[in-house]
Amino acid sequence: MASFAHDIPATLAHPALREMFAARKEVFIDLLGWDVPVIEGRYEIDQFDDGDATYLIVPDAQGGHAGSARLLATTRPHILDSLFPQLCAVTLPRGPDIFEITRFCLARSQGAKARLETRNRLVSGLVDHALDHGIRTYTGVAELGWLQQILAFGWDCRPLGLPVRLGGRMLGALRIDITRETPASLFANGIYVPANLQRLQTLEAA
Amino acid sequence: MPRFLRAQAYLSDVGKTGTEAELTETLAGITSELGFSYFALTHHVDVRRAKQAPIRLNNYPREWVEYYDANALGVSDPVHRAAHVTSVGFVWSEIPRMIAMTPADHEILGRGDAQGIGNGFTVPANVPGESNGSCSFANPKGKALREEDLPIAQLVGAFAFEAARRLWRIRDPLDGQLPRLTDRQRDCVLWVARGKSDWEISRILGIKEDTVARHLKQARERYGVGKRTMLAVQALFEGSISFTDVLKR
Repeated sequence: MASFAHDIPATLAHPALREMFAARKEVFIDLLGWDVPVIEGRYEIDQFDDGDATYLIVPDAQGGHAGSARLLATTRPHILDSLFPQLCAVTLPRGPDIFEITRFCLARSQGAKARLETRNRLVSGLVDHALDHGIRTYTGVAELGWLQQILAFGWDCRPLGLPVRLGGRMLGALRIDITRETPASLFANGIYVPANLQRLQTLEAA
Repeated sequence: MPRFLRAQAYLSDVGKTGTEAELTETLAGITSELGFSYFALTHHVDVRRAKQAPIRLNNYPREWVEYYDANALGVSDPVHRAAHVTSVGFVWSEIPRMIAMTPADHEILGRGDAQGIGNGFTVPANVPGESNGSCSFANPKGKALREEDLPIAQLVGAFAFEAARRLWRIRDPLDGQLPRLTDRQRDCVLWVARGKSDWEISRILGIKEDTVARHLKQARERYGVGKRTMLAVQALFEGSISFTDVLKR
């Protein structure tokens, strides 16, 4: 039974977040088989879903959850420094303008075409969010199978260390550097969705 | 040199290549430093039937490449089929555990063997919405793979495939995925960028003002923008009009 420092009922109070946590359970636990706690049999919530996480949520046509990502400040404990420091062969990137992308989630209920569109809206939203908030670098821990797709978005992505097999998965740590040129690179790869078409919601759990 | 520093140097070299020839040469050097004799970076399509020339870079013996193409092995190659069922690098000795091997498959691997390509490591390069592909590093049978360098090969394979995609895209730009304007819409947007009103544009192009308004409305819909200024900006961004177009008279 998992117990966290933060207040679960408050975290679950917001309907958009509730849908997101339910979608996360379907993707990360049911589909990908991650060994992470389930709350009330329905929600995937961990110790980093405290008041300081930021969530980017892509709604579907009915206003439900199509996709989401969680951003964690690198100036506080996050996934790479707390759980997978061995993936980082260089000085771990840390700073007020560096955030970690975690729980990148696409709802399972969509068809393949819709899922790609949601993915593109979410990636574009992450880039615009960085430019709007002075974030110059994103870090992240990714399963190696996603690396080709992540590179194909066209942003400036480099590894922070060699990939390592952990718990039956090949994992690697990455950094993605964002500049004013990044939207154009995404556009050249057929990924960029302009801000007014992303229809993204940015939330902070409180 | 520590392993990750070597990997960083390789990835940097791969990223700097400007032509397919440069990428091929760079990869050949890295391949050798990783303890392999051969590399092959490919899109998994039938070369004879592909609409656009797929990505194909390798330093395999020429005889093998010709035999491979003549027999369209790209479609049935057991190495490629195995690359479609996983998304992480695998050594070829694992293939029988990954896919159901037919006698024809064993024959292909046997022929490759005879040509000096016996033992390999393949990095799948599967990008949803595009073709599947892979980057393979191979040795003659009897020359062992350097296990401790396979994680570096994994990264090199992925970054090399992306570099090849980038170069290939410059040669054959993405079509049909961008909101291209019709000729008339483009003409109207160009004059908007030059600061003309709908009425002025109707005089310049010799069409009705209503028609101009309609072209611009459709252009706005294609780009998903509400404002005239954003229309010009999007068209510039996308390349439908250029700054030279707008500024020269």
